[in-house]
Amino acid sequence: MVCSAQGHLYGISDPFGERAVYPVFDVEWYPSNLVEEKNTSAARRIDAIRRLAGSAAKFVNACDFDAEGETIGFNVLRYACGDKETEALRAKFSTLTKDDVLVALRQAKPQAGAGLARAGRTRHLIDFVWGVNLSRVLSQSVLSSGHTYRMVSMGRVQGPTLAFLVKRETEIREFVPLPFWRVSGKFERNGMHFVARYSKGRVKSKTTAEGVRDDCKGKEGVATSVVKSTLQVSPPPPFNTGDLQKEAYRIFGFSPSRTLTIAEKLYLNALISYPRTSSQHLPPSINYRAILRGLERFDRYAKLAKNLLEGTPNPTQGTKADSAHPAVYPTGEAPRRHLNPPEAAVFDLISRRFLAAFGPPARRELATVRLSVGGHEFLLSGGRTLYRGWIDSYGRYASASDVNVPSVAEGDRFRVVKVAVEEKFEEGPPRYNQSSLLEKMERENIGTKATRADIISTMVERGYVEGDDMRVTDLGLAVIETMEKYAPMIVTTKLTRAIEEKLEEVENEVRGEAELLRETIRSIAQQLVGLSENEDAVGREINAALAATVGASYVLGPCPVCKSGQLRIIRSKKTKKRFVGCSNYALGCRASAPLPQRGTVRTTPKACPHCSWPVVHVMAGRIPWRLCVNPMCPAKCEWKKA
Amino acid sequence: MKCVLCSREAVSDLCTYHQGAKRKVEASYRLWTEAYGEMEWKDYLDKVKRNRQTGQWAKEIAEMLEGL
Repeated sequence: MVCSAQGHLYGISDPFGERAVYPVFDVEWYPSNLVEEKNTSAARRIDAIRRLAGSAAKFVNACDFDAEGETIGFNVLRYACGDKETEALRAKFSTLTKDDVLVALRQAKPQAGAGLARAGRTRHLIDFVWGVNLSRVLSQSVLSSGHTYRMVSMGRVQGPTLAFLVKRETEIREFVPLPFWRVSGKFERNGMHFVARYSKGRVKSKTTAEGVRDDCKGKEGVATSVVKSTLQVSPPPPFNTGDLQKEAYRIFGFSPSRTLTIAEKLYLNALISYPRTSSQHLPPSINYRAILRGLERFDRYAKLAKNLLEGTPNPTQGTKADSAHPAVYPTGEAPRRHLNPPEAAVFDLISRRFLAAFGPPARRELATVRLSVGGHEFLLSGGRTLYRGWIDSYGRYASASDVNVPSVAEGDRFRVVKVAVEEKFEEGPPRYNQSSLLEKMERENIGTKATRADIISTMVERGYVEGDDMRVTDLGLAVIETMEKYAPMIVTTKLTRAIEEKLEEVENEVRGEAELLRETIRSIAQQLVGLSENEDAVGREINAALAATVGASYVLGPCPVCKSGQLRIIRSKKTKKRFVGCSNYALGCRASAPLPQRGTVRTTPKACPHCSWPVVHVMAGRIPWRLCVNPMCPAKCEWKKA
Repeated sequence: MKCVLCSREAVSDLCTYHQGAKRKVEASYRLWTEAYGEMEWKDYLDKVKRNRQTGQWAKEIAEMLEGL
């Protein structure tokens, strides 16, 4: 008899369940329907499992083999089946193909230990205690100071992640670019023209750059060295979760959470292996040849797979390992249903990455020519692919552009056609996007492969960040500013990373979970003191930011049409576009106006002298500008006529 | 006290963010004059304000200093 859990059937809650009560450290596991109101099916499922368990002689836990799956299985066996977690057998598999599942069930063994499940349960407890206490103290501060409840959350990983974004946002907003100059030379030999760059790169002084140009005027260039080298480019390693998410973002623009959701669907359809993995290894046990034979049945992979099957398939392996699952790979099974375009895209990416891992290294020729002109050196470099190797398998996802270098020998002379000096400015620090933020979280070792994408989405939902380029809102800035002032440890990576390391020790059964929980509670309690003692100040500061984000930024001024409503910036739920509308819309006022969809729109206290509609301040592109929001403003009509 | 450029709490007339931006704008002037050979303070502020790489708070500071 097989029964499914379909996600977590048990969740954590505190006995009070009141959003005003904190601190709460006395928490327990409860059926999910008692924890989340919308999870109505959990009670029926638990009841069904309980009835089946009553007459079962043997139990096999066949949940996904990772911390989440272990936690789900452990809780079901303990609470629904009646303390069967130690006697149950464990079936482990990485794909849902019929063969793999049958083999896993036949080979199910008693669990050697419950480290993974204990670590998973402890992580849930810590994250709950952390999130519930900090979020409640922040939300209550906002309520008591502003008389309106607003959910202001702060999680164990969310805090340091938001702090990264705030640090970068501050650097971007206070950035002043420095000027520099690029010098390049246009040369000619035997009727052939080419452009070479000044060897010293950025020139920090205009006088120096112009000096180089003047020195080269009327001079002849000589090729002083010609260096050619061949570079071997190895195939990329097989995908782990993070690499797949980053690559899907780079190529298709999919957010990390969207990619994971799609990958999970492909896994449930037995098309790919388990997608939550840190591994960049493809062990021989997955049977390379069988998978390649499967891929041979797809028209688009047939030739590539056939070529690989003619030799001895041996994939490139990455450095990252995961004891639970191999890297993500296609099972070789054909889809039994039509894949929608995003699913087909992710499936193709995974399949091609798998094929590329078996491909031979590519070879590129690099060439650099040094030209001497008037005592200055110019460089001409380029590269071309000599042998495509794995690049053919990775197809359009690989980037290998060719820049040909003209055939030149040492001592060849060139006519200087022109030396140009171009004024440039330093670029500001790059904004994080969902992919680079995910990479940062991985590098800092905070969060897990399963939770990082959701944490990023939560920050967007809470209004701490907005847009694809993860701009931090005034609210996000205020939350971090407040935390740094009253509970600084919460937003540093030090504490959360230390917990991650200790959770690994729980997983390896060298540390008890109760000890770690006690330690964490002590740390949280210390930080809560700073926040609760300054509840008024915390609430005031966050409310001011909320007013800036939600209130002041959105109310433009009195409506000149109905004279009693307020014109506001509204974002359409349907189109997600912003526009101006009147607060008296329900009473019949139809005053509305379009707004620029790019950049930041800020309110100003000014009204247009021509039509008395509000004027907004728009920051989009080079220069900030002011705009009367009235599309029928007489000044605009005159301008159009002109 | 409120920041003259935004609604945040301020110690003097600017919030900590705008104070940081002001320090950057002032410190960069020397580097700009070194780069261009010479440059008037007002020209510098105008160029900083109009430069698309300049950050929002630095632009607001440049605009404020230009009006002084």
